[in-house]
Amino acid sequence: MGSQIKDVKIPPNSPTQLSLVKHADFIAAYGKKKDDYEYCITEFLRMSGVYWGLTSMFLMNKQEMMDKDDVIEFVKSCQHENGGFSASHNHDPHLLYTLSAIQILSLYGCIDLIDVEKTVEYVSKLQQADGSFVGDKWGEIDTRFSFCAFASLKLLGRLDAVDLQKAVQYILSCMNFDGGFGCRPGSESHSGQIYCCLGALAIADSLHYVNADMLGWWLCERQLPSGGLNGRPEKLPDVCYSWWVLASLRIIGKLHWIDKDKLRSYILACQDEETGGFADRPGDMVDPFHTLFGLAG
Amino acid sequence: MHGRIKVRTTAEQAEAKRKEREKKLKIYKETTSRIYEKRNNGEMDKESLSLSEQVLAANPDFSTLWNFRREIFLHMKNENPPDVMQDLCQKELFFLKNCLQVNPKSYSVWHHRQWIMEFMPQPDWKEELQLCNKFLSYDARNFHCWDYRRYTAQKAHVSPDDEFNFSTEKIKENFSNYSSWHYRSKLLPLIHPDQSGDKERVEEGALMKEFDLAQNAFFTDPYDQSAWFYHRWLLGRARPQMEILRLYARYDETLATIIVHFTQPIQAPKEDPVVSFGEQEVTGEWHNSFHNNHPSTVLDILLCGHCVFA
Repeated sequence: MGSQIKDVKIPPNSPTQLSLVKHADFIAAYGKKKDDYEYCITEFLRMSGVYWGLTSMFLMNKQEMMDKDDVIEFVKSCQHENGGFSASHNHDPHLLYTLSAIQILSLYGCIDLIDVEKTVEYVSKLQQADGSFVGDKWGEIDTRFSFCAFASLKLLGRLDAVDLQKAVQYILSCMNFDGGFGCRPGSESHSGQIYCCLGALAIADSLHYVNADMLGWWLCERQLPSGGLNGRPEKLPDVCYSWWVLASLRIIGKLHWIDKDKLRSYILACQDEETGGFADRPGDMVDPFHTLFGLAG
Repeated sequence: MHGRIKVRTTAEQAEAKRKEREKKLKIYKETTSRIYEKRNNGEMDKESLSLSEQVLAANPDFSTLWNFRREIFLHMKNENPPDVMQDLCQKELFFLKNCLQVNPKSYSVWHHRQWIMEFMPQPDWKEELQLCNKFLSYDARNFHCWDYRRYTAQKAHVSPDDEFNFSTEKIKENFSNYSSWHYRSKLLPLIHPDQSGDKERVEEGALMKEFDLAQNAFFTDPYDQSAWFYHRWLLGRARPQMEILRLYARYDETLATIIVHFTQPIQAPKEDPVVSFGEQEVTGEWHNSFHNNHPSTVLDILLCGHCVFA
């Protein structure tokens, strides 16, 4: 007996227009809810949260709705002695938040406000003998961190600070039977991870190692009858894959393998017309992460 | 936040909820400030463990608190005999199991579990394998758990054959288990290497068995993608040897070009090519179409036309 395809039905009264004004209000209001429980318990990722919010604002050309000086002051205050950035005060530095910090300053075009050399040193010291990157001194290895390192150094103009050849070889050792990539050698392919690996390979001029036809097939099969994209086979759709999958397809030149109109209606249906913002699926709770990746898609 | 359905509430419910959250927030803020204070003072004691446990139980992705716990464990190791540390680590594993019940997809929790296992005096990797089996029985697609299982199986010296059997078992429970099909693709070349010595290739008999299994799967459920991707992999495993596919030469009085089309991308060699025209040898330059050093399947050899036809 065949199993049901995992998917969602788009409710008939779902939004079909992009409500940019509401989304900008949602992001602006989110940053002001400093005494909200949800806001406080996500402090461990604040730097990335600010990046998601700010990038959303830049995409909507509403960046003036966030206080530039406050944001820059916050970013600067999160740089540690070793050059790395933490998500917030009292938190430890990590590569994830170091990239977010660099991205925020790059959006504002003021990367020179921080100690660039120290930051470069922090990132390059996280490279291991096999070419992989750890996220911080506690040793978790993941291809996400390879991307964070490459993207950080590219934005700082210092790709020469690490062993690119070895780093590329490590990423290639994470390639799978379906042409995709996982967290570590042996790990299953995942769209978010594929985006990171393709992004890193693109930065290192090494995309020729990718089997674009095979990977393109796997990526375009992420589209479900509802139009939404999932992150792995036999999973539910989620608006954030509108970014991870689409950007991956774009990198390997296969964007036209997706039904754009259906995806557009899925993304629009994930908007909350009352509060603004996007959710992962129609009818779920909205947040800045899905708002950015909905808009970016 | 993933998969949280938006629920409509009455004003009364909303107010009750607001009050409850306010209370929760107050406790949360007090506890975290107390932890920061203790950490700044270097108080690596049981109270620090207990306070951070309270916060992590509700918010397991708060990675800095796991860092603090690791600092405490490292500190305590200097002051306690191995049996005390073993006991503390057992308790930590129990706590981590509870965290995984709440959020089985937390990167920080799985990573901390691996760290504790590596840190503790007598880790029982066989028991860890049981834990992985348990979490895979809740969700057969949890990639964090699959990754930790691969690590654990290696530590527990489980043979690739046994892991292959585990993968078969999982697939027979439910053909729609892409994670398990993926695992087979890693194990098959290890267990049944081809005589040719090519590490990527698989011995013919084993391949035929895999075709049967994949066919069974898509006869049972033709709309499930897992077996189709695996089938495609079984079929298309030949890799082209590095060869020249085509050579094309063109010239006029100023420039002669030889265009070489290869089966695989190649970077322009650093040594200049030497081309023979009968008795005459002419040195040229390798270039790709963009005149940069990106590898390409098409490379040009540029020669000066006057040199060739002098």
